[in-house]
Amino acid sequence: MKDLSPRSSAPADETAATTQGIKIVGFLCNWCSYGGADTAGVCRFKQPTDLRVVRIPCTGRMDPLFIAKSLIYGVDGVLVSGCHPRDCHYAVGNFYARRRMEALKAFLPFMGIDTQRFRYTWVSASEGQQWQKVVTEFSEQIHRLGPNPGLKQRSGDHSIPSIALR
Amino acid sequence: MAVGWVKRSAAHHAVSEIERVEKAVLETSRMQLHKLVEEALPELEMMIGWAESSDPLQTTPIFIRDAKSISKLTCGPLCSQNLTGYLVKPPALDSVPKDAKPIGICVKGCDSRSLVALIQEKFLTRDRVRIFGIPCRGTVDWRKVEKRVQLLNVKSATVEDDWLILDDSGTTHKIALEEVLSRKCLGCRYPNPVIHDVLIGQSATPRSTDLATTYRDVDAIEKEPLEQRLAFWQSELDRCIRCYACRNACPLCVCQDKCIVETREPRWLTQRAGIPEKFLFHFIHAMHLAGRCTGCGECERVCPMEIPVTLIKEKLNKIMEEMLGYAAGLDPDAVPPLLTFNPGETEI
Repeated sequence: MKDLSPRSSAPADETAATTQGIKIVGFLCNWCSYGGADTAGVCRFKQPTDLRVVRIPCTGRMDPLFIAKSLIYGVDGVLVSGCHPRDCHYAVGNFYARRRMEALKAFLPFMGIDTQRFRYTWVSASEGQQWQKVVTEFSEQIHRLGPNPGLKQRSGDHSIPSIALR
Repeated sequence: MAVGWVKRSAAHHAVSEIERVEKAVLETSRMQLHKLVEEALPELEMMIGWAESSDPLQTTPIFIRDAKSISKLTCGPLCSQNLTGYLVKPPALDSVPKDAKPIGICVKGCDSRSLVALIQEKFLTRDRVRIFGIPCRGTVDWRKVEKRVQLLNVKSATVEDDWLILDDSGTTHKIALEEVLSRKCLGCRYPNPVIHDVLIGQSATPRSTDLATTYRDVDAIEKEPLEQRLAFWQSELDRCIRCYACRNACPLCVCQDKCIVETREPRWLTQRAGIPEKFLFHFIHAMHLAGRCTGCGECERVCPMEIPVTLIKEKLNKIMEEMLGYAAGLDPDAVPPLLTFNPGETEI
């Protein structure tokens, strides 16, 4: 796994103070959301800079474990975005993805991982404005949550609860 | 040959009428099993069942090809292993050609659900197996026995009515069966095989009919705040030595040498022994079983570090039942929910 420690070099624009140290991974479908993010860029919509984009062929390619691994290894937030349901380039990829990601979303808090660090959404290639909105909102949410405490060390301030199993 | 769980312990006294009937039922089901297997064996390539082992508290799998070994077959609360994994994993069937005669197998309620799941995913065809269904009243967890009484050298373990009676080098321990049953058995909804060719003995009463009883342990964890849940899993999974026993024992972990926790390409996991690696390993196991796990509890039974690993899958099973109304391993014609979709669903 690559080093995920906070960036040392400060970003250039004025949002630097707020974005520093926060890393969000965005998995974007090639056909819609990646296009949408491009549209937002071409239209010069201002966006937070803490999103790193990974382009995937379709949200149907999204293995829930991509999200789990990112969060386990200390990424602060994961955003998945694809074509709107019924608009998938491959017809059905996002239908599969929807079930998987809902299952993961319900599962994460059971293992003690804050489900607010993960969001999935649908953005089409023409929705630059919508993309800006999604990224800004999610980024703000992650900033409110702060850096991901991660799992690397057992946190000393929490005693191990004695949960009585059968 | 004397059989542990029906053999009468010397120190046991005053057998009541009910106990005698109960014992007779157990003994009869064992004899019935022997008789049925004897009749069926000529048409079978092999019979897979349980036999007594050197440890009276545990049984061992047995692969029967000739009639002489049939008398070793046993059934009852000490037969905790799920044998269905042998049907899809090497090496048990390596020498059996695909067009050979069917294979006979003994299954409890939970094991039969694994069979259904394997049939659903076409790892097995129904006509390849002859299923000897055995209604189950719960299986004994030997670790719970060891936690209750100090054991030195158990000579025999017998089940009579609702009691487990141990002869431990002269001392007799009488333990309520209820207190030493495996965790998964206490919320069991399907004690009777859901699929079978023949049924041995009388059908059992389910211990649970609702989600709250079945998923009681899941709910106990969910009551804790998020940080406490993380602390709980960190302390539990910290013990994991990544021996992969849970994966190897799981009848539905079918990737075998392609398993991504071991492959170099793609390389999901390193050999590092940190908590993130352990978490990710258990996430991989759980997510690959989402919507497929039948809750047979094998992963937890074989864990040498006593981590409640089945609990992780139980949570996913609960999600599948609540979100998609699907319980795995009940209908051979159903498709596991994460392998299909429904365009109309908007609520999830």
